[in-house]
Amino acid sequence: MVNTLVGLTVNGLAMGVIYALIAMGLVLLVRAVGIMNFAQGDLLMLGAYISCALIVDLKLPFWAFVPVALISFAIVGIIFMATTYWPLRNASYPQAVIIATMGAGYALKELVQMAWGSIPRTMLPLVIDPKTGSAAILRFFGVNLQWQFVLIIGVCAMLILMVFILFEKLYAGRMMQAAAQDKYAAELLGIPTVLTIAVTYILVNIVVSIGGYMVAPIYFASTTLANLQLRAFAGVVLGGFGNLKGAVYGSLIIGLVESYSTLKWSSYKDAVVFIVLILVLIVRPQGIFREKIADKA
Amino acid sequence: MKPILRLEQVNKRFGGVIAADDITFSVMPGEVHGLIGPNGAGKSTLMNLISGIYECDSGYIFFDEKDITKMPAHSRARLGIGRTFQTPRFLQRSSIRENLLLGTDLGDHFNYAQSYFGKKGADFEAELNELMQYAGFTFDWDDDITALPFGQRKILEIVRAMLSHPKLMLVDEPAAGLNSSEIDNVISLLTKAAKELGIGILLIEHAMDLVMNFCERIVVINFGKVIAYGSPSEVSSNPAVIEAYLGRDNDA
Amino acid sequence: MIKLLQNKKSQIKLSTMITLLIAVLFLITMPRINKDYKMLCLNLTLIYALCALSISIMLGMGGQMTFSAVAMMGVGGYFAANLCSGRLGFSLPTFPVLLLAPIFSAAVALIFGLILLRLRGTYFTFSTIGLVQVAWSFYSMYKPLFGGYDGISGVPKLSIFGYTPSNYNEWFYVLAAFLVIVALLVERIRKTKLGRSLAAIRDNEVAAKTLGINVYITKVIAFTIAGSICGLAGALYAMHTRYISADMFTFKVGVQYIIMAMLGGVNNTIGCIVGAILVGMLPEWLRIAEGYVNLLYGVGIILLMVFMPMGLSGVVTSIIKSLKKRHKKEVTAIVKKAEGSEV
Repeated sequence: MVNTLVGLTVNGLAMGVIYALIAMGLVLLVRAVGIMNFAQGDLLMLGAYISCALIVDLKLPFWAFVPVALISFAIVGIIFMATTYWPLRNASYPQAVIIATMGAGYALKELVQMAWGSIPRTMLPLVIDPKTGSAAILRFFGVNLQWQFVLIIGVCAMLILMVFILFEKLYAGRMMQAAAQDKYAAELLGIPTVLTIAVTYILVNIVVSIGGYMVAPIYFASTTLANLQLRAFAGVVLGGFGNLKGAVYGSLIIGLVESYSTLKWSSYKDAVVFIVLILVLIVRPQGIFREKIADKA
Repeated sequence: MKPILRLEQVNKRFGGVIAADDITFSVMPGEVHGLIGPNGAGKSTLMNLISGIYECDSGYIFFDEKDITKMPAHSRARLGIGRTFQTPRFLQRSSIRENLLLGTDLGDHFNYAQSYFGKKGADFEAELNELMQYAGFTFDWDDDITALPFGQRKILEIVRAMLSHPKLMLVDEPAAGLNSSEIDNVISLLTKAAKELGIGILLIEHAMDLVMNFCERIVVINFGKVIAYGSPSEVSSNPAVIEAYLGRDNDA
Repeated sequence: MIKLLQNKKSQIKLSTMITLLIAVLFLITMPRINKDYKMLCLNLTLIYALCALSISIMLGMGGQMTFSAVAMMGVGGYFAANLCSGRLGFSLPTFPVLLLAPIFSAAVALIFGLILLRLRGTYFTFSTIGLVQVAWSFYSMYKPLFGGYDGISGVPKLSIFGYTPSNYNEWFYVLAAFLVIVALLVERIRKTKLGRSLAAIRDNEVAAKTLGINVYITKVIAFTIAGSICGLAGALYAMHTRYISADMFTFKVGVQYIIMAMLGGVNNTIGCIVGAILVGMLPEWLRIAEGYVNLLYGVGIILLMVFMPMGLSGVVTSIIKSLKKRHKKEVTAIVKKAEGSEV
């Protein structure tokens, strides 16, 4: 029993940190840019595909892969901003940006299929046992765990911490938030809003794409990867909308709930996660953690 | 005659800021009652407390001797509290007719089903025309609300509030941004409301001559506390009031 | 012509006449030029149009973005499928069930609305996403009520007092009739207290409260009506296609309905219908661009939001407005000239 629990917990945490990456990106875009991005999952998907292309197709060694990947992710971030945000920055209808991101989602799904076909692409596990040539296994409390899950938890946790420090503690983060809340005033204060918004998009996309890279060996790079964003949405809402810390904890909870629910209701995994969300919202409409900013809706 | 509005020791804090501190005063039906104080004193907050947008931390609010302290904003409005805002809040994308209908909807007291199945709303065109004579301008009903200049919109907001047949009107800085003839129109509208229709008016205003000439009683607020309460002459000679507005004279 | 546009009453009459004309032309020509498969698609778009109308109520009038249309459509669809196909051990006549479906869906929508609308703005939107996921999960997994992945088939043909639409062409007229009736009912909302109150909530919730509008209940009422319309759509779908399964009710499809409404003009009844037809028929008309459809679609949506956020009807309305303005300018110019010459 303990074995399964441990296994499920590690699995849940691993997925939870991935959701947390997506969720943080969502919250960052809400707080620093003021938009809700419904193509967040598609960006993760694109990150996975790009990683596959670089590693499997171009066979880049790790030291070359990292900078190339980071640069590509940054470029994608800029392009995404240029297409979905920039033309709409003064839109009178707030939902327009949301719908534009939905459109971008469609386009992205088609683009990856055009570029790399519709068969899911596989990638070797992140940590390989040199003897067997497949996923390295760690024995932990009598349970066989894939090392890569541990790696995912570790790397993503670091990323989460870095983003958190940047955004909440450093001045740069506060500049970005000011830009979102009142562009005019921020510019009067000398904050280059275009720059802060661009930096936000780049940061968000890098974070999310790294998540895609880590998830690709497990779930394969395919268009269904984009659906992970729904879990991340749940995590964001659960944690109290607009709250970075809450989004992270919320996503971890969602990951764990999803994992544990496979014990009893395996096929209703999706339903369980969202029923939990709805129940929490009924009891505590503002989410588990107190909101930091007023709802922009 | 019972007061139409009575506040008893109303308190409200926002974090560390005391917005309302033991506020007590009352407004009689048909009375023009001023609410003044320096900027940031808590006047708009008080309006929001009365209309129900904020909830009091403690204290009581009585409307027509009914305890409305815990009532939601829309119920208070339906009891007969009308409200105007410093910046007029209209539906920007709708026509003037639709915006005014919102006012009469409130006065009509009939529900969605009745409205849907064709019960004709009270014919308010006659009433509207009469009010517009006081308002001093004309318009085409089907124009967009954005076709009206700022001053006319402010006056129209008062008209809309009056169309809902309230017993009390909360008027927030009606003269701000208006020229002198528009201000005259506002005064004649509010006078009609108070003297002919018996509506109690609680008026926030900064234009001192307007306040002193138009209001029968005035309550002065500073830092959320009532610092003076009485007739215009009493209030204008009250040293605490003078200090609040002009600052203490340091050289004795 | 310009003079006609001047008088508001004749303006309305003119636009109604034009709409009627186009509609009648549409109704007559469509079955003639479309073959079987295309007709099926067209019929489906009429059903989608009903869901688009529900979006018009919630988002267009009330300013609340909700994805719940698909979930409610499923409610109505499975209701009809279960009661008519005999899989529960009995089967009821189709027409009464068709009329009961929106009532049943309204009840379900009422319950969920009361629960979910306690949440504000974006929280509410996300909770509707949750609702759709939960619903889809049950629709695709729970065999006893929903038939699992195989869905429910064997829904009998619809029979209205003995008349049975037997081919897609005949269904076209039946669906068009339902659509027209619902469209008229929805349009009426706009002119009444409910429509105004929703507009107030959309544009300025605080002011709405001070105008005596019970925001919570009004939103719930709108949600219930919207859900009821979607339920009707679902039941019609079940009887038209005689088969129902969970992949009709995914989140993705829910997004489609919102896009349909936004394309046509989310706050315009006719716009939503046009939007539904366009989005529904696009894959057919763009058959040539087979592999690129989604890409064009996605890019198209972005462009739509950039250039026409109020949809096609928004474009039409602004054209009319600028014509009016120009006409007014001409009139004042003429009047000025006349006054000038009198002096």
